[in-house]
Formats: sequence, structure tokens, C-alpha cells
Amino acid sequence: MPDEQKPPKTNESTEPLLTDHEESQEHKAPSWLKIPVEQEQYQPPRGGVIFLQVLIGVFFFVIVIRFWYLQMHKGEYFARQAIENRMRQEYILAPRGRILDLHDNILADNRTAYGLTLVREDCQDLPSTLAQISEWSGQPLAKVQEKYAQDRIKIKPYEPILMIQDINFALVSRIESEIHAWPGLKIVVLTKRSYPERELFSHILGYVAEVNEQEMRKDPQLAMGDLVGKQGLELEMEKRLRGSKGLYEVEVDAHAKVMGKSMRDEPHGGRDLKLTLDRDLQEACWEALGTATGSIVVMEPETGKVRALVTTPAYDNNLFAEGISRKDWQELRNNTNFPMQNRAIQSIYPPGSVWKLLMAAMLLESGVGVHESVYCPGYARLGKQIFRCWKHSGHGSMDLEHALIHSCDVYFYIMAERMGIDRLEKFAKQCGFGQPTGIDLPHERSGLVPSKAWKQRRFGKQWVRGDTYNASIGQGFTLVTPIQIANYVSSLLNGGKMLKPQLLEKESVESRGNLPCKRETLDFIVNAMHRTATVGTARVVSRRDAIMGGKTGTAQVVKLRMAGGNRRVRTKDMLYRTRDHAWIATWGKKKNKSYVVVVMVEHGGGGSSVAGPVAKKVYQYLFDEPKTGSKS
Amino acid sequence: MDMRLFSHINWPLIACITLLFLIGLLNLYSASGTRLEDGIIVSSFYQKQIVWGVCGLGCMLVTLTFDYRRLKNFAWIFYWIVLALLILVALIGKNVYGATRWISLGGISFQPSELAKIAVLILTARLLSHDGQPLGWKRFFGLLVIGFLPCVFILQQPDLGTSMMLLLILGGMIVFHGMRAVVFRSCLVAIPCCGALLWFVGMHDYQRQRILSFLNPGLDPRGTGYHILQSRIAIGSGQLWGKGFTEGTQSQLRFLPERHSDFALAVFGEEWGFVGCVTLVSLFCLFLLAIFSSAIQAKDRFGSMLVVGIFFYFFWEILINLSMVIGLMPVVGIPLPFISYGGSATLVNFTLLGIVLNVSMRRFMFKG
Repeated sequence: MPDEQKPPKTNESTEPLLTDHEESQEHKAPSWLKIPVEQEQYQPPRGGVIFLQVLIGVFFFVIVIRFWYLQMHKGEYFARQAIENRMRQEYILAPRGRILDLHDNILADNRTAYGLTLVREDCQDLPSTLAQISEWSGQPLAKVQEKYAQDRIKIKPYEPILMIQDINFALVSRIESEIHAWPGLKIVVLTKRSYPERELFSHILGYVAEVNEQEMRKDPQLAMGDLVGKQGLELEMEKRLRGSKGLYEVEVDAHAKVMGKSMRDEPHGGRDLKLTLDRDLQEACWEALGTATGSIVVMEPETGKVRALVTTPAYDNNLFAEGISRKDWQELRNNTNFPMQNRAIQSIYPPGSVWKLLMAAMLLESGVGVHESVYCPGYARLGKQIFRCWKHSGHGSMDLEHALIHSCDVYFYIMAERMGIDRLEKFAKQCGFGQPTGIDLPHERSGLVPSKAWKQRRFGKQWVRGDTYNASIGQGFTLVTPIQIANYVSSLLNGGKMLKPQLLEKESVESRGNLPCKRETLDFIVNAMHRTATVGTARVVSRRDAIMGGKTGTAQVVKLRMAGGNRRVRTKDMLYRTRDHAWIATWGKKKNKSYVVVVMVEHGGGGSSVAGPVAKKVYQYLFDEPKTGSKS
Repeated sequence: MDMRLFSHINWPLIACITLLFLIGLLNLYSASGTRLEDGIIVSSFYQKQIVWGVCGLGCMLVTLTFDYRRLKNFAWIFYWIVLALLILVALIGKNVYGATRWISLGGISFQPSELAKIAVLILTARLLSHDGQPLGWKRFFGLLVIGFLPCVFILQQPDLGTSMMLLLILGGMIVFHGMRAVVFRSCLVAIPCCGALLWFVGMHDYQRQRILSFLNPGLDPRGTGYHILQSRIAIGSGQLWGKGFTEGTQSQLRFLPERHSDFALAVFGEEWGFVGCVTLVSLFCLFLLAIFSSAIQAKDRFGSMLVVGIFFYFFWEILINLSMVIGLMPVVGIPLPFISYGGSATLVNFTLLGIVLNVSMRRFMFKG
């Protein structure tokens, strides 16, 4: 462009005309074609130059410092955040172990169910999503919203909340066809617990239910919606049954689309539990008890294995596994018969005359001779008080064996008076009373062995001799559980070994010490029990085909007789709550089979008249030939 | 054209431009990638950017062909035409995303507000080149009126970012030129007052929301605060050396919004780390210094003011975009020169740099 180069030159040559510059442009050419030229020598303003330099300098430092802060100072924090952005953990549930009986009948099983989960981070329109869930499930919207509000605070935004628990097939297919319009919702397969035997094993198995916050805090492996054992073996054996969850690491993009999955931990299913219990025996015991309130323990004395453990009344544990309704829960809780209670281990009763089995052992170990006899006139006098024998006409002269066979109270009054309560307390505790047997079930009660110190502490009163009289025949303050009695009788039979009652078939026998008794003592008592079952108060269980032994007990709930009343009141005429508890502790041996059966009927009346026939029915199942033939 | 002119060309500036443009392309390639389950797909942004770059180079060469001093003649006409276009936009403009910024002429849509920045820049350079005296009240207000007139229409669109840029460029040029002490001090008082007025009267709710969410991004992490949070996570997680080219999870997995336009720097920060970021900022500073040296070497006041205006054009864009991406400023839709994708922005950038080269290569060609 030559013309562009010329004007500057002309300008340089026409320097004197510079003042008229504007005018000259007008004459020669249109002004917009001219190149306007400045005349003065240009020097950039000093302030401006410094201003720009400072701006650049400040800019550089501020930005670099900020980068340093973000990337170096807080870099690790943001790196973690970036990982949290894209990595999610997804658990793979491990199937819970089943619970089987001795013959592999299934007592607790898993079934598949469908549930609906919500991931709130992926949910675009939460209010209408909740409304849709309410419509599907038929629950009122307020309830769905409440459930969501409760659960959302417990978990991370990307973790699923289980909104509907158990969806039936018709609903699953309906939801399946509509779910694509609802991001964040997902149908998931759940495993649910079911108990096919219902009431029959509910007290032993307990139940599982959704984990609560307290349990989650204690165990980091648990997550919301998990099922955990809440009662019974489900609770006690939680660790073994649960197994361990697997873990997926899932990489997602910003739209929660899954980019990749890798398994970090494999799920390991829980172990199956094989119980010592025999489902059919359990049922036979259940039927033997009938409508009575009470419990039966069937135990193998040599191993401590529990073959049946029945409690009536019972509840259906499936109600809990499925999520119990408020109404059902209220009903169970308000039932005055306490159907939730496992009476064999959680109820404590005065043992009544069954206690004499312990007294006999103590007397023998304390050097009382087997021929030493006491005269029973039908009562014993203590100051102004009269302590009656159950047989008002009196037993006459009684030695230990006969006192056991005929259950003479006066013999034990007199002997206990001689021994003193301290010795009795010590001996009873050494035999395992006043403490749990250690059976693998939660909330086992200890019972009570009273002592002088205990009475002082509990009532602020001194121990009196009358208390010792009462304690000698298992009345007064003494309290035991049926499982303790069964365990004691087993110890008598197995040579004095105190075993932990076994519920798990595969577990080895666990000894908890020995009875403080000599062999002869045990043999004497076992023999006396055999005689009792042959000619004594426990005749009802006697059988031709087996060697049987037993001891009955009728435990008073109200001190009617001791109050000195002469007249015996017939059981059915008494108020239910004041009726006696009926006990019978028995053993039976046939060929190589040996069992201890303890029956306890609450407010049943006499031990031999009420508990005895129940025990007889149990032995019929155990020892009758045709039944054993048809079984297995 | 005289070949001697090429020997005076500002080579450092060209080197900076080339490097920045290449870094931008490379980064854009990574920012265009989206990881899916079965691999990465790359959208065509970086290819388009190459085309725009070539077009921009053309524009740059065209601006080199004439003597920059001729612009002085067209300053007023250009200004009035742009003003007319702005009015036209207000009347018949296209509405895109709730803002009326675009005008369609013969099938080509463009934003007159972009041109307004250049028009005000050139006109201000012309008016300031009159003499070197510090500005008194009269000339100061004259310049303010020239700046605010297009601003009124641009705010109407509404486009706070562009009008703010326009005033900042004007302000920068005025401060560089110098003004009387009393005028300067009055401004120091008046600007905060205007800011307050703007907050309560002139701003739309969404703009206020942006500023609030900038001050506390945790308030609404899924909404307006999302950009800020994700951008900070992206940059911060780069740490010292970065995650590596195309390895950024924040961008590849789409957590980062606007990753090829306004937030392209976050992609860069994530993948190249502190080292890369400092290098890039240094390069930007060298780039600004190269423009600055052209401004002080210019042989006449008009050329110098023109370059100073362009300096501020780039300076504010770089500063605002960087501050926004690293969380020092609220989110304003201003792209980062050369790094962010944008067709018209590339054209404008190259054209303006053409003017800078034009001024600098003619610095020996005439006597002032």
C-alpha cells in the first residue's frame, strides 16, 4: 500500500502547516480518507504506566496464591471430594443362615421379596415422587413423608432408602411398567425371614426386624434396612447367622449413570444353625401341654443337649419378621398371659417339693445318715407357729429315702433347722441355682437363693427360723427356672457334671463344673427318684418298658396352708392367680436313650395330678415303639 | 505493504498468542471428552475452534493492512451505528434463554453488545488522544455519557456482564490517561454508592442469587452454588501435578458444568495441577506485558490509548474469568480468552490483537 506510506512523509515535510491541519484536510480530500496525525511528541503518562505494571503484578500474585491455596493447601481435601463425587459404595446382601432342627427340618428360612428404594440425590421431583409411592403402596401420603423424613437424615444422599418393604407380584409388575418416569426409584430384591413353624419355636428362635439407630451405631457393618436378630437365637447367634456383606465400588457420572463396578469384598452368607431340638418332639410336648400355661424342658443328661423347649402360650414370630402392626403389637404387649415370655428360662417360680432333690444331696454331703429318721406327726411346731406337712395325718417315722418318696415336709423342716440356712445357700449356689445356666438364649433369669444378708438387704428384716423351714421345702423366697431344675436333674444322672444346656447340635459339650457331691449321694437320689416314680408321688410317669424316676412339686403361690388353714381348698375353686404351680422333674431310660423331662404348669394345681400326666404324654412320644417306628 | 513493517512486528506477543491458542485447543480436546460406560466420546468443539482460529488469523491479517490511525476517522460513525443496532436489538432482537441479545442480519446472528465494547474503546481512545492533560469534570462526564449510553441498552437485554466489561474498559483507560485529583477522589466515593444502588434497584433476582451463592456456595449445593463448588473441587483435586491430560474425573464424568466455555480453566486446573496453572497464569502475564510494551512504545497518543483499551479488554476478561473459576468472584458469564471455546470471541480477540500488532509495528514509521 504505497498510498499509506506517503501521507506520513508529506506530513513530515509540511510541518509548519500543522496548526491548520483540519482545514487543509477539508480542501484536499474528504476528511475520512486522511490519516489524522498527532503533532506533539507522545510520552506515555507515568502514572498510567505504573498503574498497569502494578495491576499485572497484583493480578499474578493474587491468582497464584489462590491456586496455591486450592491445589496445595486444600488439595487433598478437594481430591477426596472429587472421589466422593464419583465413587459410591453398594452393598451386596449376604443371605442369612437358616436354622434347622436335629432332623434338618427348616425352622427359620429366607424368602425373596421385592422392595422399592429411593435415592434422594437422583430424585428430581421429590414431592411428587413421594406422592407416587403413596399411590402405589396405598399408604397415606403423610405416612410416606414421615418415613422419608425419618430415614433421610440417617444416610448419605446417594444411599437408597427402602420406601416399600414387601411388594406383591401384581404391584411389582405395575411399578415396573411405570418406574422409568421416576428417576431415583428402584425395585430391589430383598430377603425376608420366615418361620414355618410359627408359635412352636417362636420363643427359641426369636425374630429379626429392621435395624434401629442404636444397633447401627454399635455395629458399623449394619446399614439402614438391614435385618438383625432382636430376640431369641436370632439375636444370640446374630454374628454367625448374618454372614458378611459384599461391597461393590461403583463409579458414576454426574447424572448418576453407572460407569463401572468392581467388587471389593465378596459377600459371605451366614452359617446355617443346626439345633439340638427335635421338631416332632417339640410338637408332641406342645400338644401335651395343651391349653395350659407352662413349659417343658426335655434334655439329654449326658450331653446337656436340649431336645425340646416348649412354652405356652406362644406368639407368631412371623408377625415381627414382616413388620408388626401397631395393633398386633399392642395386643401382644397387653396380654396378661405374657405370650412373649419364654417361661422355661425367663420365668421364676418357687420350686416346691422338687427342691427336696437338692436338700437330699445337701443332707447326705453334710453327713446325715441314710437311716437317720425323723418322726412326722403331720406338722412341726416352731414357737407359736405351726408348719404343716402336706399329709395332715402325718407320715410317721421317716428316713431320707422315704421322705423323698413320700415328699414328707416335716423331715426336711427338722433337718434344715439342723443344717442352717447358710449351708443351704452355699450348697444351692454350688449346684448352679441363683445363676443362669448359660443356655444360648438372651435374657435368661437367675432365680433366687435366699440368704440372711439377702433378706436384710431386701426387706431390712432379720432371717428367722421359719424362713429356713420354708426354704427347706422350696417355698418362701426360693425361686428357680425350669431349665435350672432340668439341668440339676441331668447333673444327678450324668455323674455330677454341670453342663451348659446345649441348643446347637454341632457344639461340643461345655462343662461348668461339678456338683459338690459324691458318687454315692447321686446314686442314692437317682434311686430315690426311681422309687418315687414307682411307688411314690410320681407314680403317674411309671412305665413297664423303661426305667423311670421323678419328683413332683406343688408350689404355693399364696401362703394358705402356712397360715394355718386346716381345710384344703380344691384347686378349681381357687382364683386362677392364687392357684398352686405344678412341677414334675423326671428322667427316663430306655435302651440307650436317656432323657430328663421337666414339666411346669403355672397355676395348674398339684404336681402329680397336673404336671405328671403331661410328662407321661411326653414319655409316650419318646419311648412308645410305634411312634418311634413311624418317625425319621 | 512495506516489508520493513514486518521486521518491527511484536514477536513476543505473537509467541504468547500462539502458545495460548494451542494450550486452549489441547484443553478443549480434553474438555470435549465425555466418558461413557464403553469408552470416551469426543465432541467436535476443538475442531470447530481450529476453524475459528484460522478465521481469526484472517481477521488479524486484514487489520494489519491499513494504518490504525484511520480508525480515528470512523470512531464516531462506528459508535452511532452500534448504538442504532442496540436499539434495533431492543425492538426486534431474538430472545434466547430469556435474554434478548442477538440480532439476525442475512442469516448471520451476532451480538451488537460485543461490538459496543470495541466502539466505545475506539471512541474513548480518540477522545483521550486530544491531549495529555488530566481529565477535568467536563471531559470526564463526556466520556461517562459515551460509556453509559450503550450500557443502558445492554442492561435492558439484560446482560450485566457485558455492560460491566464495557465500563471497566472505559474506567481503565481513563485511569491510565489520568484525571484531576478531585475527580479521582469523587469517583472513589461514588463507585461504592453506585454499587449499592445497582444491588437494590438495577439487579435481577438471578443476579443477586449468584452473588449470594458465591458468598456461601453451601447454601444451595444443587442449584446456583453448584458451579462454584464443582469448579473448586475440580481445580483443588488437581493438586501439584494434576491428574493428567484427559484424566480429569470432574470434567470427564460431567460433574463440571460449562466445561468447554466459561469453566474451561477448571478442566485445565484439574488435569495439569498447580504447576500447569502457574505456567498458564505466567503466560497470561507475559501476554499482557507484551501488549503493555506495545502501548508504551506507541509513537502517538491515539495508538497508545487504543492498545491500552485492548489491554484492559483482555486484562478484565482474564481476571474476571479466573477469579470466577477459582471462586474469588461470583459467576459471571465471561469467557477466558483463547482457553474457552467461542467463535465470535475468537474472531474479536484476533481482530483486537491485530490492532495491537498494527500499532506496534508502525512505531518507527513516522515521527510524532
